[in-house]
Parts: sequence; structure tokens; C-alpha cells
Amino acid sequence: MMPIGVLTAIGVACGLIIFFVYLKVPQKVKGLDKTEEINSILPGMNCGACGYPGCFGYAQALSQDADLITRTPCSQVLQNPESLKKLEKALGITLDASAMSKKALVHCTGNSEVICSYSGAQTCKGAAQLLRGYKRCPYACLGLGDCVEICPQGAVFMDQGKNVAVVDSEKCTGCGLCVTECPQNLIELVPAGTKIAFLCNYKPLKNIPGRERCDFGCIHCRKCFKSCEDEAIEWNKETALPEFNQEKCTLCHKCIEACEQNTLADFTKIGKEAELVSV
Amino acid sequence: MNELIAIFLGMVLINNFVLVRFLGLCPFFGVSKKIGSAVTMGFAVTFVMTIASLATWLIRNYILLPFDIEFMEIVIYILVIATLVQIIELFIKKTNAALYFAFGIYLPLITTNCAVLGITLINATQDYSLAGSAIAALGGGLGFTLVLFMMSGIRERLERANTPKAMKGLPVAFVTATLLGLAFSGFGGMI
Repeated sequence: MMPIGVLTAIGVACGLIIFFVYLKVPQKVKGLDKTEEINSILPGMNCGACGYPGCFGYAQALSQDADLITRTPCSQVLQNPESLKKLEKALGITLDASAMSKKALVHCTGNSEVICSYSGAQTCKGAAQLLRGYKRCPYACLGLGDCVEICPQGAVFMDQGKNVAVVDSEKCTGCGLCVTECPQNLIELVPAGTKIAFLCNYKPLKNIPGRERCDFGCIHCRKCFKSCEDEAIEWNKETALPEFNQEKCTLCHKCIEACEQNTLADFTKIGKEAELVSV
Repeated sequence: MNELIAIFLGMVLINNFVLVRFLGLCPFFGVSKKIGSAVTMGFAVTFVMTIASLATWLIRNYILLPFDIEFMEIVIYILVIATLVQIIELFIKKTNAALYFAFGIYLPLITTNCAVLGITLINATQDYSLAGSAIAALGGGLGFTLVLFMMSGIRERLERANTPKAMKGLPVAFVTATLLGLAFSGFGGMI
């Protein structure tokens, strides 16, 4: 009898202590309930793209400053209209999701020729430290898949044929992890409604034209600019690159056909036709 | 005083919780992928272990021994430790937000950590005094933190290493653990 009595007594005492602490210790930390409500709406994958330590840290920051969502939005929530609505309700504000939603785009066709064999650490970061990689173009995608590894959504794939990273824009949530991961700075977050993708990141190096570095690089010929009938392309004279106005563009593909270097592509079709292999 | 130092060093290095006693192996592999989370986990375990060993020492010496029901110690210790962790979490959540966010998910996880139950049972079998129990728990926790820190540092570098595909991730971590254990067995017999 004795042991049972002691065990019961200790159990009841423990329960009472928890109850007492729950009731009597004053709640000095304010706003935790709201934080937990927001936290339950957030995706909970802790990608860290918002810059806060995990979803809970982001929820805490949001509970103190609701406007934060417009400055550093959670890209996962933006993808999901249902949770966005819940978050709007929890924060008491309205949001325009389409204006904030972004997708990653790799500015490279991956066609630059491999000029030496590399057998070091099999990461882009390792390869990029040695003379900016092993391809003829120093700005080319190295194809070792740092971005593939870091993507929490599995949205980045390697196109094995061309040895270039490709983003599946349907899966991409625009968290931007791959943007900081890429040592070549090839990946950019573009608005989700982008129509024409510019697939080159070549910056002229000591007057060596892009043509000598890569068969598919931009040679600044302005053919795309001239071909556009909707006035959707403007020519930036300083960078000598085309700038696309997505609102005017009707996706007639005239610029894509006009580009002899195949530097342009239909953004909505990127990642659909390529031979996709996950590393 | 000398005895306390001997207990402390013995717990940190010679009878290290993870590598010699094989306690707390789940966090050793589960939370050792990043240095930051490994160290946080280590300190949370140290904290809970110290408080738990103090509480269980009191329970043992003022309840279990007088009533002569020492065979109940595992059940009662688990009950007390679980309650203690709940109280601490509740208390921290209500009073100190910074600490609550720092410990985060780790504190409730520790309730079921075998290292915490282990230290209380070791204290019981060794018959340490109150100060001895606290020092033993502190040393054990710090030893746990040390090993987790070393392991996470090694694993962060192993991620970059060119390991065969079959050995990537956990398998190579197991091999690393055996090498670490061998190194720590070198401390055996120091005291």
C-alpha cells in the first residue's frame, strides 16, 4: 500500500504545482497568444528566407509589427491563398499577393564550354574559388547543384543535357535561398508574372565579347528590341541589355525567334521541356 | 572540495555521458547537424539535468529512503522530471521571452532524454551528497555539450567532404562517433 500511496501523493502534488504555476505566476510576456496564432498559419518549414530564426521567430516579429509582411513577406504564405486569408485576418490587414510573389530565375543557358577538368570538392562554391570555375564563360552556371541541395521545395533541378540549374516556377515559392547560395550570382528573384526570361549573365571582360565565351550569350545585337511590335522591350544604353515591360508584352515570341543566340526564352515554359534530373 | 573536482572532471571527460556511458545518443545524432542548435541543446540539457538531480536528491533522501521504497525510484524520478520540465517551460514562457525563444523546442524534448534520468540514477547508486549530485549533473551536462559541439563541428565539415554516396550523412557520422569514442577512451583511468 505504502508505495502506491507515495506515488499517488507525488503525482497529485506535481499536478497541483503545475496548476498553481499556471494560475499564479503573472504573465509578464505579452502577445504570445497572437504569436502562436500566427505561427500556426505559417508553413512551419523554417526555411529562414524571411531572415528570422525559423517560422516562430517570424511570427513573433509579425505580432509586434503587422506591416512587416509587406516588407519581408513569407513567400510560402503568398503561394497559398487560404493561409494568406487567415494571416490577413489574424493581422487585421489586407494584402495584394500577386504584387509580392516572386520566382527564381537562373540567368544562364549553361552552354558555355567546359575548358578544364575539375576534381575538387563537388560544390559550386568550391569550384568558383578556383579561377571562377571551369567553363569558358566566367559567369556560367557550374552545374554542381548547390542551389538544388538548398531548395526546400525541390523546385530546382539540374538539366543534365545542358549542365545548368533550372527552376520549376510552379514549385518555386520565391524564398530566395538559392539566390544567396549561388557563388556565381546567377539567380535572381523576378516577379511571378514575368513573361520573357533573359538567360545570360555575361558582363564584358576586358573587351572580350560574349560570343567568344559562349555560343548562347547575349551579343548586344538589339535584334529583340527591333523585333518587338508591342514596344514591350526597351534598350538600356548603359548596360547594353534589353529591359522587358511585362505588362505590354503579349507573349508573341517574336523576340525569342529573332534572337539568334537563343538567349531569350518563354519564362512560363522554363523547366517544362528540359530533361530534369534531381541531384 | 577535492572530491567535487574529481566528480566534475570524471563526469566531463572520463565517464563522458555520450561517448563512455552511451546515454543521450538520440540528440547526439539528431541535433548535431549545426553547431548553433547543438550548443543550445547542450546547455538546455545541462540546465535540466542540474535542476532534476537536485530535485530527485531531495525526493530520494526525504521520501524514498525513510519509507524504504527505493525500488520505486525510476517511476517517481520520471514523474518528477517530467513535471519539473513542464514547470520550467511554463515559468520561462511567462516571465522571460528571450530565454523561451532561445530554448524553443529543445526544452520539452529533453523530458524524455535518457541522459537526464541517467544522471539521477547515477547519483543514487553513487550516493553523492547534494553538492556532489549538482556538480555531477553540471559536469555531465557540460561533457554532453562538449561532445555535441565537437560532433556538430565535424559534421558541418563532413557535409562538404567528398564522401562516397552510400556513406553520405548519417553513416559517416556513425564512423566519426566511433573515432570520437576511441579518443575519449584515452581519458580512462586518469583518476
